[in-house]
Amino acid sequence: MKNRILIVDDSFYMRTMLKNMLTDAGYDVVGEAANGQQAIEMAAATRPDLITLDVILPDNTGLDVLKGIRQDQPEVRIVMCSAVGQEVIVNEALESGAVAYIVKPFSEEKVLEIVSSALQQGSAATTEADDTPAEG
Amino acid sequence: MKSREQEYREMFMAEALEYYDAMGRHISELEKNPSAEAALNELFRLMHNLKANARAMGFNELGEIAHGMETIFGLIRSKEKDFTGSIIPVIFGGIDTIGTMIRAIGEDAAMPEVDVLLANLDRLVKGEEPVLEGELVTTDDARKLELSDLVYIQIKKLDHLLNLVGELIIDRDRIFTLGQEIGNPALQSVASHLFRIADELQYSVMDARLVNVGSLFNKFPRVVRDVATAEQKEVNLTISGQDIQIDRNILQIITDSLLHLVRNAIGHGIETPQEREKSGKPAIGELAILASTERDDVLIQVRDDGRGINVDSVRRKAVERGLVSANAAATLSPADVRAFLFEPGFSMAKEVTDISGRGVGLDVVKLAIDSLGGQLRVESELGKGTTFTLVLPTSIAVKGALLFELEGRSYALLLMHIDSVVSLWPEQLHVVGGMLLAEVQGENVPVVSLRQLLHTSDEPLPPADRSELHGRQDIIIANYNNRRLGLIVDRFVRQQNIVIKPMSQPLDTIDLFGGVTLLGSGQVCLVLDVPAITRVFLAKRP
Repeated sequence: MKNRILIVDDSFYMRTMLKNMLTDAGYDVVGEAANGQQAIEMAAATRPDLITLDVILPDNTGLDVLKGIRQDQPEVRIVMCSAVGQEVIVNEALESGAVAYIVKPFSEEKVLEIVSSALQQGSAATTEADDTPAEG
Repeated sequence: MKSREQEYREMFMAEALEYYDAMGRHISELEKNPSAEAALNELFRLMHNLKANARAMGFNELGEIAHGMETIFGLIRSKEKDFTGSIIPVIFGGIDTIGTMIRAIGEDAAMPEVDVLLANLDRLVKGEEPVLEGELVTTDDARKLELSDLVYIQIKKLDHLLNLVGELIIDRDRIFTLGQEIGNPALQSVASHLFRIADELQYSVMDARLVNVGSLFNKFPRVVRDVATAEQKEVNLTISGQDIQIDRNILQIITDSLLHLVRNAIGHGIETPQEREKSGKPAIGELAILASTERDDVLIQVRDDGRGINVDSVRRKAVERGLVSANAAATLSPADVRAFLFEPGFSMAKEVTDISGRGVGLDVVKLAIDSLGGQLRVESELGKGTTFTLVLPTSIAVKGALLFELEGRSYALLLMHIDSVVSLWPEQLHVVGGMLLAEVQGENVPVVSLRQLLHTSDEPLPPADRSELHGRQDIIIANYNNRRLGLIVDRFVRQQNIVIKPMSQPLDTIDLFGGVTLLGSGQVCLVLDVPAITRVFLAKRP
């Protein structure tokens, strides 16, 4: 069965790029959220295997969203997505259970590599010792 | 077809301009109130997004500037800096430069010099004083007032435009035909130019009305969650095809239908977790809302893996309601039986709702889809689930139609309702129970002479007689509600895109005709309504 992915990013351009990359690679993009509230709702409704989560969102930070979603679904794998400059938040996200991060701008190969390894390494909840992020 | 790069570029531009507009708003707010937190957060976010997007597009200098600005807004936010003094001209200069750069990208023009600005941003970040000389004075170019490239327009205005285009197309066809009749080369040349322009105009207007189905789909996660909670079901929703485009009014018209189908699927289709586990299914039910395109149509499907439709109880109910005789009911295929669910009033039957888990108000959904010239299909497997498929036109204005002749008059049938056309010899038709049958794609399809159907008033059709048919028969295989019906016509004419005008009073009470269109020859052509024709046939068949 195809792995199901939810994309969270407030930029339409970014969402479209990610969606195209992931869809082309055979993943099932089950939804796109543009803000934190939507992200939490869509995560609950679509129960994806993996979420790509933008660090900075209009209504709250990706960090709040991460915590909110993980409370409800500890098994979902979350990959943070950020442009350089927000390393502090990214590190905090990794400590709070994100399994990897992608640095914008990203290449297609990099995204697919990180997503596929994040899907393979299982949820952070079960592999706390091995939360070394993939390199961006 | 646009290349992906081109599409990304347009998307980038549209979003960058939107960001730039918003930056202007928030910076004036910040100027009035240097500690306005919301404005600061937004400026920070906009710069962050612009940076990421610009770098992804390879506009590195723009990315650098946005990065510097983001850092400074971050410092102001964390109270390490104040929005006062020399920081203000640098930031205003930065936003102006961002505007100039975005404009330059849009026009493929040369980018402005940005070294001084970058150096100043760098100094500010390091806690040094910026050097405010010469270059930072805003150029005339940057002083231009920027207007957004996007216009919000009332759908009413687009409706009016579309109606006018419809009128224009009819006149265009008329002029084109006149040009050929008169045979004047100059007129013909102007007419064919007009033909092309009007075509392009029509597609542009239709294009302007298109929206992503995602704008509707994205409301469903919330709906599904609420309904599932209320019904005490566990449902996993999948949405796909959000970027499929469709006319905004069509999306508006199907909104309630889709809501209805989704509520039905959760309320009556998907079982409770306990029931599901008992029948060996995962406790969480699967619901999918999918959009795709097929030829010129848009398909929207609502699919669940619930209990499915119980064909036998629907069959029983149809007999009880007098919709079909017990004998006839016994021979109907499951698909034919399921079609009864869409009969007016049928679905009100409470019992069916409980037993089959389906039915409340499906006739209303059916009517909405019919009004668009679309189709509603249902497939279901008992115990496995149900899929409803809405087949919708992309646009409401122009529809593909088959023109044919009957007794010297032209008529049209929408292609959407036509499965195929065949020409058969009388020997290839069989008479069963007073009815003509033709084998089409391995299935027996009832065939009726359209002339007879239109001419016999209220009495039933006379039993079919093959000897009345002479020579090859042109037959249109129409399809409505999973029911196929062959209509014998005098002659196929051609396929053509037509603009349908609704019938005006008092003719609008004749429901056999879905509307009227004018042909290039100036002749009025009636558009036959397949749903109505099918109903008449069912009522009158021998």
